[in-house]
Amino acid sequence: MTASVVQAVLLALCMAGLYAAVAAGLTLTVGVTRIINFAHGEFVMLGAFLTYWLHTRFGLSPWIGMTVSGVALALLSAIVYRSFLARVLKQDEHNQLLATLGLSILILNLAVIAWSPDPRVMQAPALLPALNLGGVTIPGNNIAVALVGLLLFLAMYAIRNHTRYGTQMRFASDDPGLAMHAGINVDQIFELSFVIGGAAAGVSGGLVALVLYVQPTVGVDLVIRAFAIIALGGLGNIPGALIGSAILALTEGLISTFVPQGGSWGFGIAFLILLLVLVIRPSGLFGKQVPA
Amino acid sequence: MTKFLLSRLGLYAAIAAPSLLILAADRPFLIQVAIGTLISAILALAWDILSRTGQVSLGHAAFFGIGGYGSALLTPILGAALGWVIGILLCGVVAVLLGAVTLRLRRLYFTIATLSFSLSIQVLILVTPGITGGATGIMPPVIAGGSPPLQLLFITGCLVAAAIVSDVFLGRRFRPAFFMIRNNPDLAAASGVPVTRLKILAFAVSGMVAGLAGACYCGLYGYVIPDDVFTTNWNVLPLAVTILGGMDTTIGPVVGAIVLRLLEEAARHFVGGVGYQVVYGAVIILFIAGMPEGLVGYGRQLIRRSRRSSERAPVKASLAS
Amino acid sequence: MSTLRIDGCTVAFGGLRAIDNVTLDIAGGAITALIGPNGSGKSTFVNMVSGQIPPRRGRILLDGEPLNGLRPDRIVHKGLARTYQVPRVPKELTIDEVISVPLLYARSSRSLPGAARTASDLARYCGLRPHVGTPCGQLSVSDLRRLEIARALACRPQVLLLDESMAGLSLEDTEQVIGLVREIHASGVTVVVIEHVMKIIARLCSHAIVLNQGKLLAEGPPEQVLTDQDVREAYLGKGFRL
Repeated sequence: MTASVVQAVLLALCMAGLYAAVAAGLTLTVGVTRIINFAHGEFVMLGAFLTYWLHTRFGLSPWIGMTVSGVALALLSAIVYRSFLARVLKQDEHNQLLATLGLSILILNLAVIAWSPDPRVMQAPALLPALNLGGVTIPGNNIAVALVGLLLFLAMYAIRNHTRYGTQMRFASDDPGLAMHAGINVDQIFELSFVIGGAAAGVSGGLVALVLYVQPTVGVDLVIRAFAIIALGGLGNIPGALIGSAILALTEGLISTFVPQGGSWGFGIAFLILLLVLVIRPSGLFGKQVPA
Repeated sequence: MTKFLLSRLGLYAAIAAPSLLILAADRPFLIQVAIGTLISAILALAWDILSRTGQVSLGHAAFFGIGGYGSALLTPILGAALGWVIGILLCGVVAVLLGAVTLRLRRLYFTIATLSFSLSIQVLILVTPGITGGATGIMPPVIAGGSPPLQLLFITGCLVAAAIVSDVFLGRRFRPAFFMIRNNPDLAAASGVPVTRLKILAFAVSGMVAGLAGACYCGLYGYVIPDDVFTTNWNVLPLAVTILGGMDTTIGPVVGAIVLRLLEEAARHFVGGVGYQVVYGAVIILFIAGMPEGLVGYGRQLIRRSRRSSERAPVKASLAS
Repeated sequence: MSTLRIDGCTVAFGGLRAIDNVTLDIAGGAITALIGPNGSGKSTFVNMVSGQIPPRRGRILLDGEPLNGLRPDRIVHKGLARTYQVPRVPKELTIDEVISVPLLYARSSRSLPGAARTASDLARYCGLRPHVGTPCGQLSVSDLRRLEIARALACRPQVLLLDESMAGLSLEDTEQVIGLVREIHASGVTVVVIEHVMKIIARLCSHAIVLNQGKLLAEGPPEQVLTDQDVREAYLGKGFRL
């Protein structure tokens, strides 16, 4: 009994790594530009398909697939930003939300048209050796997901808090007008944060291909969880996203293992957690109280 | 005052006119298309009413379904009138409960909450087969004995009712307050507006009008499964329709429903039954970026511009002579 | 005329005290100025009193009735209104539509100043020149400021807080707004002016309150307060003359 609990917990923590990576990229973009990019999930999905395709068609290792996806999605993010988001930024928040929503719907359905809604499984060999502790086995790919996820997450954190760009990003998000006067090219900083978020999405997509079904709707599933995580952790709070990921993944994992038919309750759980947290603490468990 | 009433009656007549024309033409295919388009228009009006307070709902399929299932399950017990009324009121109650929790929060969280809610509620149906028929679905009583022309007439009436509700919320009492809530909720509160209470009101009304659309939809063919009503299609459709036609208006969602239906038919022709929703995404992006005021708003701008230039023209003539 | 009493109020963000145990009385007999260097807590004060940011400690009393802990719209109903420094109004709404919102929602038995009955009366009273049907997107900054004052007046307040309503206006416009504020005060409204243009304070207000780093620094007639050594130090205002 204990062994299965430990197994469930460890597997859930690996999944938390994936969720954390997705949420970190999203919270960076949202925290800086205040554009709520609903299409972030679709960027992850595209990364997943690319990694899948590179492996199935060309036999490329998922390590390479992840990296290529990161670069490709960074490029796509730049294109999306320049071609249409920059214009939408001038409109009000209401329209911005709708615009990224439209983008999300467009990409999702283009994927459905191009690749059909059928789920695919990437039969990749284990990237890392499996972990065997007593009666508990953690497959190597899950470990890889946890590690890369954590790394991505730490990378987002480092960029935001320990680089010159990160400082500029925080300045630009707090007060774009003032930042402009201070000589910061706010538009460039926004684009950069968007691109970094996109790169993170691409790499996360590679992780998705390792442990989840690759299908057009995988983005929506993840983005809902990402927002629940961000709500848990507080908007823009990157360490909070890590803790939020762990809470969500553990709850989901334990319920799906020990509650009959619990596996299909994923959405319900994300939703309930979201509601609970937001009722108790609207600025998130670790969010800052923003002075008016 | 009378001039205002006349213009409103004119609007409702204009909304009802296409249906009447189609009824006169007596082409069954057109009648079916019209019915579907009108239901979309009602749902879009519902969405727009809430959108005026700045809240974006991605979960209107939930109310669509609750209204549909509610009215379908209650009609055999309580009769059509009461069954529909209670089914629709149920949507209002659900909206008030959900809204009380989520409308105080950042707008983003409300949107996510509505999306999550609508995805979760289908699960609820699936796990209560005893009451709701579960995955096998239900057999709702059919409107107007299944006669398509009568159904079209009835649903047109429902659309006019929804238009009236929409107009009430575009009136002096609500429109400025709603727009202020959307644009600057602090300013609204500083003007004495009970912001959360009004948002909940808008959400409740929005939910109920969506429930009306759902009740109409479920009453068409005598058989409904959860997938028919609780799908993302009904979450996304009202957004696309309203953005295309023109937000913050009553005629916009109606125009949008008609135009989008045409675009959808074209997309289905090229792409088949799956993925045609790509049209919704494309429409939303193109219009938000290029024509955020929608077709109706753009049309009004054109009228205003031509009116201004015709006013200037006589002056030019007199100066020249 | 109504009095506003701030009793031992503290507003803190994490460890930072934006308002630090402030106690003061604002009586109706004078137009009161609230001044202080940047970061002294003036804006936080207005947000605290109007209910945007509840004080962690202390009470706020309007004619003896507690305001702290109430929602901003409830505070408006009790009779306190404020203007916003940077007026952001929906650009599609017209002047009279904006003013109509408090007229409809801030129900009150008090009457409007200047015998105004409708939104257009109030707009005219505040010197708004554009036609009331003009959408706010087409208004100039000075018009938007006047609209803010009209909107706040439409709340039929007993106490009105003007948050830097004259910043950046032309000399002529500033004159007119000064006249308007005097008229509003004469009609029985207690007025608090948050400003940092000293000449306006000196001309308009007979009582001044100085905040510095969230604490009450000095109180009294402007000439006295502005020549106070502590106040000068707080401002580092070298070479300032009345």
